[in-house]
Amino acid sequence: MIRLHNVSKVYPNGVVALAGVDLRIERGEFVFLVGPSGAGKTTFMNMIIRHVLPTSGQVIVNGKNVVRLKPWEVPYLRRTIGTIFQDFKLLPNKTVYDNVAFALQVIDAPGREIRKKVPAVLDLVGLADRANELPHQLSGGEQQRVSIARAIVNSPTVLLADEPTGNLDFDTSWGIMELLLKINGRGTTIIMATHNKMIVDRMKKRVIEIDKGKIVRDESEGVYGREV
Amino acid sequence: MRFRTFCYFWSEALRNIRRNVNLISLGTIAASLFILGAFFLIILNLNHLTDNLTSRIEIRVFLKDGVTARDREALKTRIWALGGIKTIDFISKEEGLKRLKEQLGDDEGILTAMDFNPLPDAFSIKVAKPESVKALASRIARLPGVESVNYGHGLVERLFALVKAVWVITLALSVIFISAIIMIIGNTIRLTLIARRREVEIMKLVGATDWFIRWPFLLEGMLVGLTGAIVSAVALYFLYGFAVRRFMSALPFIPVVTGGVALRQLCIGLLAAGATMGAIASVVFLRKYLRA
Repeated sequence: MIRLHNVSKVYPNGVVALAGVDLRIERGEFVFLVGPSGAGKTTFMNMIIRHVLPTSGQVIVNGKNVVRLKPWEVPYLRRTIGTIFQDFKLLPNKTVYDNVAFALQVIDAPGREIRKKVPAVLDLVGLADRANELPHQLSGGEQQRVSIARAIVNSPTVLLADEPTGNLDFDTSWGIMELLLKINGRGTTIIMATHNKMIVDRMKKRVIEIDKGKIVRDESEGVYGREV
Repeated sequence: MRFRTFCYFWSEALRNIRRNVNLISLGTIAASLFILGAFFLIILNLNHLTDNLTSRIEIRVFLKDGVTARDREALKTRIWALGGIKTIDFISKEEGLKRLKEQLGDDEGILTAMDFNPLPDAFSIKVAKPESVKALASRIARLPGVESVNYGHGLVERLFALVKAVWVITLALSVIFISAIIMIIGNTIRLTLIARRREVEIMKLVGATDWFIRWPFLLEGMLVGLTGAIVSAVALYFLYGFAVRRFMSALPFIPVVTGGVALRQLCIGLLAAGATMGAIASVVFLRKYLRA
């Protein structure tokens, strides 16, 4: 599914973001990426969508070597990967429905498919009755649900979540986690970078800890950090 | 491409133009293209004038007294051998005198005052390439039996030099104006990119192709360039017609291009140039952005 072979990334300014990382994530897994800010979590995610290329090593996603993709192949890779962020990245002047439909329109999907998939995915995230509202009329948790709907509307095999609960209170965050669990239950691999200890500890999923560009811990049913 | 996508590209392009294009940039583009067009019209007219004059240019070769008919034929062969010659006509001294009398008309009396014919035998030569007149004339002058050679007194050279100078100026101006137009259109593209960076970021994340992202910008650039070009072409078309009428009534003996096909071709060329510069500007300014 996702494999990293001896992957290193040194940015032009000399910062080492990843140093010789080997990693294997199977289809349908739910993985937490933890570690201090600047440890390399975001670099890792950006590598999977080929926003960042490794300085050395190989990155395999869905059986394809991302490093060797030609520029025109990159969009097709990204259609198999959904992404969500701490700041939601919604378009403020588009309705909930249009924000989700946008993801299908820009890959030139047929209108029939858009009219079928968008209401279905809004129903899944629990916003079927808010379709015609604008993002600023929604709460933070609801906005994150819209961004999740947009990320999964094209049925990706992987969902990358970079601090998706960073701006949300615990109850709202837990609601988002339940939604992610539901999506994971449908077979989508989920990789989530987070600093939220309570959530990680409660979910009991695989935890990969990165520090200074290296994997320092990889446990199934792990917790956020060793007890202090 | 789906019809919906096609409509999306156009509506995005038009919305971005309404938001980011102002009259100052459109006016600058139109003015630059207008000046370029005007220079091409000047070149067109200078070429027309040169063609007109050079078609009448001939080399007159005066022969020494006492050159026999055989020497004359030999000379003619040697001139032919120099190449680049269209026609050679022999004008005997009697023929020359007759032509001179016709030219003088009522004043031919001054010739009858002389009891001999002062004119030499001559060849009248028309050349294939007017540029070669000077070189050819000096080579003919060195042939045996030739007294002297007369041609357009350097008028042609000076005209060619003028045309060349105007070309150089036009090309220099083209470089300046074309870069300016590309920068102006590129700047509106940049403004659009800033206003649309959220959309573009999401498009890239969800896997829109580079071309899908590029089309609205490409249309915007081409439409802006084309609009400027239409303004300049219309202005040029009518102002030139007006200028030609004034010029012909003031200086009727100088041939000018009165418009027609050449003017229309120039206007179409301006439109094509405007659209092309717009397309180049959008592709160039987007390139760096899309690579990320």
